[in-house]
Amino acid sequence: MAQPTLPAPSAPSKKRKDPPINSAFRPHAQKKQKTDHRARQRDARTLSTQTTSKAFHNGALDVSAFIKAREYEITALQQGIQRSGHANNRRAFQQVPKELRRRTASHNAKKVPKRLRRRAEKEMIEDNTPTVTARRRKPTGHMRLRLDTMKRLRALGAQKRAAKDKAKEGKADATGQPDRAAAILPRKPKLKKQPTLAKPPTPKARFRKRQIHKSWLPTHLFHTKRAHMTPPSAPLWRFSIPLTPTQKSYRPTHRAANERGAVAWDMSYIATIALEGREDSIESLLRGLRVDMAQGRAKWKNGTRCREVWIYGRDSKHPIAPVTIIWSASSTVEVQPSSRKRTLFLRMHPSAFTQTWEEVLKMARTAKPAVTVEDLRFEIGSIDITGPGSTEALLAALWPTQTPTEEVSVEKTWASLLGLTNPASLPAGAMLAFDTQDPRLHHPPRTVQPPTSQQEYDNLLRLIAEWPVDRLLTNPVIFDRIARQEGSRLPSQKAINRRKSLATPGAYPEAIATDPAIPILLYTTPDSDRRTQSTWTLLAPWKTIQPIWYSIQYYPLSTGHQPRFGGLNEKRQLAFQRGIAWFPADYPGTDAGWEWEMQERRVRLEEWKKRPKAKRVSWERVDLGGGRRGEVGDGLACDWSLLLRREEAAVAREEGQATTRPEGLAHLPPAHAREVLSNAASTSPSPIDGKLATIRLTLITRGVPQTCARIYRLPRTDIALRKSWLTLLEKPNGNHKHHLPTTVALPKDASPHLLQRRLAQSLLYTAQAGEETYPSCPGEEDLIGFVTTGNFNLAEGKGTGMGCVMLAKVLEDVRSGEDEVRRLCVVRNSGEGIARLGRWEVV
Amino acid sequence: MVRIKHRYLLVNILYPDSNNVANGSWKRPADDVPYTVQFRRPTPDRMDSKLLARLVRDGVSELFGDYGSGMIAGSLQIKYFSPATSTAIIRVSRDHYRMVWAALTFATHLPKPVDLSCVIQVVRVSGTVKKAEEEAIRRARLSIRRAAAIAPTTDLTLGGVGAIDNAASDDKFSNGIEDLDDDDGDDDDDDG
Repeated sequence: MAQPTLPAPSAPSKKRKDPPINSAFRPHAQKKQKTDHRARQRDARTLSTQTTSKAFHNGALDVSAFIKAREYEITALQQGIQRSGHANNRRAFQQVPKELRRRTASHNAKKVPKRLRRRAEKEMIEDNTPTVTARRRKPTGHMRLRLDTMKRLRALGAQKRAAKDKAKEGKADATGQPDRAAAILPRKPKLKKQPTLAKPPTPKARFRKRQIHKSWLPTHLFHTKRAHMTPPSAPLWRFSIPLTPTQKSYRPTHRAANERGAVAWDMSYIATIALEGREDSIESLLRGLRVDMAQGRAKWKNGTRCREVWIYGRDSKHPIAPVTIIWSASSTVEVQPSSRKRTLFLRMHPSAFTQTWEEVLKMARTAKPAVTVEDLRFEIGSIDITGPGSTEALLAALWPTQTPTEEVSVEKTWASLLGLTNPASLPAGAMLAFDTQDPRLHHPPRTVQPPTSQQEYDNLLRLIAEWPVDRLLTNPVIFDRIARQEGSRLPSQKAINRRKSLATPGAYPEAIATDPAIPILLYTTPDSDRRTQSTWTLLAPWKTIQPIWYSIQYYPLSTGHQPRFGGLNEKRQLAFQRGIAWFPADYPGTDAGWEWEMQERRVRLEEWKKRPKAKRVSWERVDLGGGRRGEVGDGLACDWSLLLRREEAAVAREEGQATTRPEGLAHLPPAHAREVLSNAASTSPSPIDGKLATIRLTLITRGVPQTCARIYRLPRTDIALRKSWLTLLEKPNGNHKHHLPTTVALPKDASPHLLQRRLAQSLLYTAQAGEETYPSCPGEEDLIGFVTTGNFNLAEGKGTGMGCVMLAKVLEDVRSGEDEVRRLCVVRNSGEGIARLGRWEVV
Repeated sequence: MVRIKHRYLLVNILYPDSNNVANGSWKRPADDVPYTVQFRRPTPDRMDSKLLARLVRDGVSELFGDYGSGMIAGSLQIKYFSPATSTAIIRVSRDHYRMVWAALTFATHLPKPVDLSCVIQVVRVSGTVKKAEEEAIRRARLSIRRAAAIAPTTDLTLGGVGAIDNAASDDKFSNGIEDLDDDDGDDDDDDG
């Protein structure tokens, strides 16, 4: 499979309000003129009056003028009443809260809430709004032809099918044993020897043509109605993926994910690879991918925790991607531990799937005893959900099939998690696997009330601390391919509806024995920070994702509203605000990350080119201070080639390979990077040459770092400049700014105490950006990296960034410098002259 | 929902003294002008809503002191003032509209630059500005009718807005002018 081409990930959105973006790419964002509603209302309420001099000629009092003046008044008052009535007047569909507004509500009364429906209908009649529905519209000539053809084809198909059925019946009758075929149990399917790439499920005939070069997610129809998708011509990783909801959602997403509510994503595009074989040979395979198999990973190896690790190719020194590894539970101890048969899931981002797949295959071919590799991409789908209401929403959607009587069981543990507001308080990487019922039986979901008593919360805390599920060691059913298939065989919606109508009013239909049991696996984000919200990941068979999704989306949360949904941009936004790097964008040292960066460059360049010359940043004329002019490198890119040694970069440019990843550039996983930075002078600089580490950046003074901002270290050669940068470091004894009160010179005979005060003020004063004494940006030789994601951080309340630095360039400072100065850097947005002091840390 | 409650006072400025020609802003009306028209004379242009507000404020502070002026200061607003018809709508908070009413009743002069003796009459107190406006319209219609009835010699075409279109009010009108009498009962005797 070729590396999929990436589309415009940050294509211009049609939404009214975009999150703040780099001003370099949109220097003069046009502001829409806001209508001043108050002024409009005031105007409507003002009554016109007549002056006496106008009404009465020469001030002469006569009856006709007297009457005319009153007539004028009557007209003015009548008009005033009418006008102020109209100013307040809003159509029914305009009064609906934002999330209930529908595009067609202006001409379809059924789209507004019931309480407004009658008014909407009345208004439509008054306004003579055309209310023809698609169903009743007379088809055009072309459409009529198509419909006619369709009708005839259908009839033909039905005829054929009937003939076929008849023939079959005849055969069965001939043998006299019609139900024999059903009596034969199917052979347990064996995995093919040669692992093959999974094929996407065959779509319905109606949708087949649209999925030739891409696949749809199971919830595609839900998202196309509510989100901006990847453009049809440019799918992302061969999927049609929602980028962002059509509604304004930057702030609401932040609120739902951190304060109240929940945000869910259909993450079925994340790839899953299954490895099956003897435990020892799987372990050696993992060792080949350089997974740390050291001691103290017992829970992970037993299959009660999942873990995220970086994997490497066998022959290359470069890491591929972070991969979540889930072991099936180690069964009984009867067998020799090493020779037990185990299964393992590797879950990775689709941009790194091809590379991982090939590496795993290479390793599996040489493994002895053999390890079977299976591509489960279109067999297992997943949903991510985060936010304080996430556990509650999942609890309402997932109804376990069994209610076991034992003291400790997964189902009981799951049910008692009600009231949990942050999955991060569970053990890191905790897993729960059980069978659920068809969520459509309990649709629409009803609010489950979280516990209110202290006793119940104490029990919850005890449960979290003990986490009794660890002792169970039951194998998750989702590892079993037959169970997955059985679980995917869902009854038709018609059958479900029939059962629902038979149930007593207000009650859910009873479960019956033939109901499919959907095997699911839930786990929380491994290695999550306890202070921030963690995310639940739900694995379920591909075909069951859609009903589960609907149950989650329509769940009325106990805190009000329903869970929101997010697109790719929301995923990035939340990762950024939690200070987590997002694969692939924040890892330009990997193949997938580099591909992403190249695509982003192309998009930014297109955007930039579109603007007229006078309204875009002119890169040659950017004033960097100290007489230097011109942006460092390509202003629209994180120009990593600048960081490599001169000659290498020059060679790369000459060969016109600017778009391929420079040879030396590679990513160093955080654990390694921390190790390198912490143990002083242990290694020579050569192994970390060209190695990038992902960092989190906070600015000490003001400012907002943007994507593509340049990161510099404190200048090394220019000592004066270094000192002036260090003066900006906040004084420990107060964060108030020292302003020079006035620029007016003191009189010559000023008293000594005034002179002294002025002197003290000038000594304490720190220069503000834009002033002459503000330090200028360090030179190109001090460039250490770039910001890959930068913005205003709603969680922190100030600008922060994620970026990468070249370790070789900062090593000396980190190892030798004082504690305070060690991780200082200077950040300058591309296209701007003013730089800011910041601090970085490896993530 | 809690909202700030107001009262709207519909006010007429009346000029009972026909010899009132202070500082030359007014001409002496001709003798053929009926008294009812003279009585509801237009106010000079120099009198505007600001002056009217001042009149109210001064009156309230005179009658009720600092307490009164403080109580009405936040809510007092002249919603409508038409000098040609000497009609105004004054808004004031519901709790203190009586103070304003009292101040208006006790006013005998328009303030300084105009300086005319007058009587200010509150003809309607309502909770919404719309009702006050409707009342103003009704009264304007009636006074048109009255003027036309009393001075039939005047060449008038009463087809416009002054016409009352429903029969009920026509009846009321033909029954005599009692509808007018509720506010200015004395002027009919005078000009008769």
